[in-house]
Amino acid sequence: MPHFDQTLDVKGAKCPMPLVKSRKAITELPVGQVLQVISTDRGSVADFQGWVKTAKNVELVAQETVQENGQELYVHYLRRTA
Amino acid sequence: MTFTQDQSTVTEISPRELYARLLSAQPLFILDVRNEDEFKRMPVEGHATLRTLNLPYFDFIEDEEAALARLPKDVEEVVVICAKGGASQYVAEVLNNHGYRAVSLTDGMIGWGNYYDVRDVASAAWGRIVQIARPARGDLSFAIISDGQAALVDPLRHINVYRELIEGAGAKLTAILDTHVHADHISGGPALAKETGAPYYIHPYDAIHPIDMLPAVIAYEPLRDGQVFQIGQVRVTSIWYPGHTLGQVNFLAETPDGGRYLFTGDGIFLRSFGRPDLGGKGEAWTPILYRSMFEWLPRYLTDDTMILPAHFSTLDEDAGNGIFAAPYKQVLAQNDSLKPRTLEEFTSYVLSHLPVFPPEYVEIKRVNIGLVEPCDGKANELELGKNICALAG
Repeated sequence: MPHFDQTLDVKGAKCPMPLVKSRKAITELPVGQVLQVISTDRGSVADFQGWVKTAKNVELVAQETVQENGQELYVHYLRRTA
Repeated sequence: MTFTQDQSTVTEISPRELYARLLSAQPLFILDVRNEDEFKRMPVEGHATLRTLNLPYFDFIEDEEAALARLPKDVEEVVVICAKGGASQYVAEVLNNHGYRAVSLTDGMIGWGNYYDVRDVASAAWGRIVQIARPARGDLSFAIISDGQAALVDPLRHINVYRELIEGAGAKLTAILDTHVHADHISGGPALAKETGAPYYIHPYDAIHPIDMLPAVIAYEPLRDGQVFQIGQVRVTSIWYPGHTLGQVNFLAETPDGGRYLFTGDGIFLRSFGRPDLGGKGEAWTPILYRSMFEWLPRYLTDDTMILPAHFSTLDEDAGNGIFAAPYKQVLAQNDSLKPRTLEEFTSYVLSHLPVFPPEYVEIKRVNIGLVEPCDGKANELELGKNICALAG
């Protein structure tokens, strides 16, 4: 698991909320820190990859899929770069 | 602006309304806010009057002004589409706040992909011939209803639409006819047979997976060339038509008023024909298709025999009324791929017009003869995207 500084839990939130909330949280994150986002929305995997391509100050450090109580969690690690 | 998914005030457009708009060929602007890969794999298609722009929803979250600036200026109404209907609400609300008139497609591409359109091809004293289309995929299936009896040709995966149609007509399903074992979509035939007890017919040559060489494990009745089914007053005859698959058949329905309707499956399409390579043996099957197409089938056809294929490639193939059928004479006149050719010319025509071979087509054939049983999610995934059963134009 990559290093992270803060966690945003968006379990149960459907598209577009995982990304809307992540964008807001990144804005409030100190530059250089990493945000862990925990989502149950499978579509978030490809969407986060697409988003960071054009996002101004976000780097996608890693993504992983983990099992928790029989459900899949899609975990994203986002660094604020500027 | 605050956005809450459950209390959106955005107006929605249903798949049914969208389809009516697409068929009408009136100008329409679609903003598809899925990511680029999803959009490329399966866009909503329409007539030439449809304009589509792909601008992912996260571009609106990242920089609203920049995203808005990329919209054409001359557009008043925007139909916003996403994967499931959430992000499109979000973007439609942004657009509405900036003076556009935006509506969001209910349930997104999932709703569109699983939408079925039902309309009569013919309706007379003897009964009805009904087209059941799944427009997003370009899939077509048919019901023949006469004197309280019904037959289905190439029923698609969501079988309730057929059950409702037949029950609504007060008829009993007596035969389920698949023109061939499909590679591009999951047949509703075996499931309908299980639920209704009606026999499911396929040609025995298609009951063997052409690549695995494994036999079907579903229950089916072997169909033979020239077999006749009497559906009320409608007489249906099977015509073996090997080439697209070895067990492909066409069904010719003859009605008491002299009507002739050919359910050709992936035999003849209105602007193309069924590719002979999906069994992995294109070289061997191409001359077989040639014989079926140019020597055998024409014997059964008259100029005004209606050709009803199992697919369309583009929405503008319809006759202006959502019916994807045309008289044989007209099909011959407008379909370049059916032009008389020598076998050599035909073979090189086929080879130069083969589209990609979608890898999932091998697996779908396994599903259709019971070698594999997918869950709903997997079935949706296998059926993503539009059919690629025709030669490329």
